[in-house]
Amino acid sequence: MAKPPVIDGSRRGLDWAAIAFVAGVLLNIDRVPVWTPIAALIFVVWRLMAASRSLRLPGTPLRSVLALALVAGVAVRFHTLNGLSAGTALLLLMGGVKLLETRTQRDQFIVVGAAVFLLLAACLDRQNIVRAPLYLLHAWLCCAALAVVSYMPSASSTATRLGFDNRAALVLAARSLVFSLPLAILLFVFFPRLPGAFWAIPRSDEALTGLSDTMSPGSISQLTTSYEVAFRAHFEGSPPPPQERYWRGPVLHEFDGYTWKRTARSLARMEPLQYLGPEYHYRIALEPSAQRWWFSLDTVTGSPGPKAFFTYDYQLVSSEPVTETTNYTLVSHTSTRATVQLSQQSRRYDTRLPNDRNPKSRELAIKMRNSEGSDGAYVSAVLNYFRTGGFEYTLTPPRLGFNSVDDFIFNTRLGFCGHYASAFVSMMRAAGIPARVVTGYLGGEWNPIGRYFIVRQSDAHSWAEVWLEGRGWTRIDPTAVVEPERLNRGILDLLPNAVSAPARFVWRQPWLSSLLQRWDAINTWWNDRVVKFSYDDQLRLLERLGFTSPGAQELGWAFGAGLVGWLLWIAWHVGRSGTRVRPDRLARSYMALCRKLDRAGLTRQTHQGPIAFAGDLLQQRPDLEPVHSLLQRYSELRYGRPEPGAAAKVRDFERAVSRLTVSARA
Amino acid sequence: MKLSLMRTRLRARMARWIRKRQGPDSLPLTLARRRLYILPTRTGVGFCLLLVLMLVAGLNYANSIALFLTFLLTGFTLVTMHQCHRNLLGAQLVGATAQPTFAQRDGTLSLAFENSSAVARFQIAAGVGDAPTIPADLPANGFGRVELSVPAPKRGIVQVDRLHLITTHPFGLFRAWTWVHAPIEMLVYPRPHGLLPMPADYGNKSGERSLINAGADEWLGLRPFRDGDSPRQVDWKAYARDAPLLVKEYSAAGAELRIFDFATLGKLGTEAQLEQLARWIVDAESNGERYGLKLPNRFIKPDHGAEHRHHCLAALALVGLEDTSRGEASSH
Repeated sequence: MAKPPVIDGSRRGLDWAAIAFVAGVLLNIDRVPVWTPIAALIFVVWRLMAASRSLRLPGTPLRSVLALALVAGVAVRFHTLNGLSAGTALLLLMGGVKLLETRTQRDQFIVVGAAVFLLLAACLDRQNIVRAPLYLLHAWLCCAALAVVSYMPSASSTATRLGFDNRAALVLAARSLVFSLPLAILLFVFFPRLPGAFWAIPRSDEALTGLSDTMSPGSISQLTTSYEVAFRAHFEGSPPPPQERYWRGPVLHEFDGYTWKRTARSLARMEPLQYLGPEYHYRIALEPSAQRWWFSLDTVTGSPGPKAFFTYDYQLVSSEPVTETTNYTLVSHTSTRATVQLSQQSRRYDTRLPNDRNPKSRELAIKMRNSEGSDGAYVSAVLNYFRTGGFEYTLTPPRLGFNSVDDFIFNTRLGFCGHYASAFVSMMRAAGIPARVVTGYLGGEWNPIGRYFIVRQSDAHSWAEVWLEGRGWTRIDPTAVVEPERLNRGILDLLPNAVSAPARFVWRQPWLSSLLQRWDAINTWWNDRVVKFSYDDQLRLLERLGFTSPGAQELGWAFGAGLVGWLLWIAWHVGRSGTRVRPDRLARSYMALCRKLDRAGLTRQTHQGPIAFAGDLLQQRPDLEPVHSLLQRYSELRYGRPEPGAAAKVRDFERAVSRLTVSARA
Repeated sequence: MKLSLMRTRLRARMARWIRKRQGPDSLPLTLARRRLYILPTRTGVGFCLLLVLMLVAGLNYANSIALFLTFLLTGFTLVTMHQCHRNLLGAQLVGATAQPTFAQRDGTLSLAFENSSAVARFQIAAGVGDAPTIPADLPANGFGRVELSVPAPKRGIVQVDRLHLITTHPFGLFRAWTWVHAPIEMLVYPRPHGLLPMPADYGNKSGERSLINAGADEWLGLRPFRDGDSPRQVDWKAYARDAPLLVKEYSAAGAELRIFDFATLGKLGTEAQLEQLARWIVDAESNGERYGLKLPNRFIKPDHGAEHRHHCLAALALVGLEDTSRGEASSH
């Protein structure tokens, strides 16, 4: 292949390449350091001003220095050039520098390519339903830019006035994209997806909210000010009643007198359980938290699938940190009974307390246990103590001292779920009853449109689990005793001042919250059906389309058939617009006239119009006066001012032509 | 070096094969499916690579939106392939006329296209052989013209071997093209060159008149500049006032009658003789004189006017090539 000639780009091509690029920058503008889009936009303005000759373009040395400085700037800011944000910032800046040196058509194409790249970066970053139309719009702009860049206005062409203007480019790009839509949907549905990733781009270190693996008094109340969604739960069949909606997360065993921690006991045995009560089948769509907790309704029965595992205390842990919305299906029971005794080791472990702390509460615990007949009665006594002891439920409790439990029980008596759970478990352990703190969420908002629960960070909660002989681990929520309404109502209802102002505002406007519920339902549908469309969904869809036991082969066949159908359709549709238009009646009879004359040896030259032909005829064959007048009539009918009765005249002309006979020689 | 040689050979072979495959063409010519070729352009290949990258990224991160956009743009690419093909398919090359030109100048080959479809065809570019192409836009049910310059190194007939019609419209991702092997010829007059004075007025025995004086005859008016006109006759003052190039024309009434004889210039050698004759013909015509031409095997009666000038110059162009019996040369 010979080297193609260097073609200077058109001015309009430059404008459009710049438009596409700026649109790409805008798509990514909130995910890169603020100076990068500014720099890129300055380059765009610089280039456009240079095109209208009000500014000079930088020379190669300055451009090289600029490029190096910008790469260094990105490297310093991100400490790496690998990673989505750093890569996007780099792409943005280098696209701008490329635009600065854009002269040829090829350069303009490269800038449009960079704009498409920026689209990809934006897609990898976020896939919201709100942004999807923006992405489509950007793809459209890029295609139109391709059309304009590839169009070279010609100096010698006589038809330049006809022009392929911006509007034509946009319309053409839109049409082409609409034509490709069926294929896009077909490929989207049938193109085989991969089960996992080849490699991972390091994600930016975004601060995500969520439960951590420790709990100290007050840590959960920080979380409850957040209105962000923790997860959504879709139930098959009826959902559990409000008092059973405990979403179990990290289980905390180790207590240093102030902070509860998870344990590193990985070798401990899971106690076998007997499941009681109804079975709940549900799916959870977990929002990214950068943690590894999978939340579940109380106790999970059966396997959670390959992506997560159980710890010995029936906590679900993901094998990877949750960095994107994750779906999983579970079966749960909210009531269980242990079938074996708690192992001595576990018993020892879950009754441990720091010796040097909280002496007063431990003393109280032992005293209370001694006055009760059984562990169960003791649990009731402690709960009763919380209920009647002047305790109050608040999100803004005073700070607790070194002996946090003593301080809480005997001094402040103001606390949040964390305080109650911590104090309660501490009291249990002091009396020799195995107990542990469970963190997670309580309740959730029912979305009637999408028929699912939205569980928010503000629903974060902590409670206790206590080992009772004959029953095993039993869920006890001391907070519910102090503030029974917590079971039925969210934090927002109980402590409206605790949450942020916008969330409170939304909460107080029923129409707004119903609107938001609708919006959330749409988003959930989008996430479930579009964003999370997977290989399994593909197979399920095929099954619904009537393929029994579908597999990869059926997928391939369905895809191939669709592809061939689409190709035929496109070929037919695009080809159709390229076919000749059938000439109208007047033109047809004019052609018939010309054919008659041709047979008589009088051929109209391609370049001759009817008048010129008539003049020629008159010279060659003066006897053909009627033909001459017919040609005149045709010319009037075709090019003259449209008059009423033209149709009749056309018919007359038709008739005259069919009656006409032309002799070969005069 | 060797590679470029190989490439040239390959191209020549390809050209031969295509000529054989398509057969000779005659105008008007409708571009049929069978003769259209289509391949992605460099931009198209780049775009496809971009799509592959998007696909890999989309699959790797199970990113549905990226995948959807990839598929959308894949479809778009295939659609543009059809559109590009359609842009050329069915277009008609209705005329290819080359105005005669003088040797060592570029002649102009004017191509006329017709578009009898209801959709405009943009950017139909044409070129001679492998030369760079020039685009034209054809409106729906309309015509378009491209003017190509054809180098004319020496007098005689330049055969335009093959035309290259090409389009990358609408999106520049594909290139559809065809070759046209129509018999297109361009007549090349000898270069008007030589300093010998014109032979004496044939009807007037009074002797030679200088060229300068010849211009001082009866003023007729101005006419547009024609190829070969002497710059001396151009009305430069008018040109300076933004008028087109005009040539001052003088009356032929009572004017000279000259016979330009090939044989009288015997010493110069054939080509130089022809060039000198061409010079005289051009000058005599622009002076408004009547002139005849005497060639070894042919005599053109004295006359004047554009047509006469063409006959004379064409006769000069074809001296020694007449065995090929070109129309214009032998008809008079």
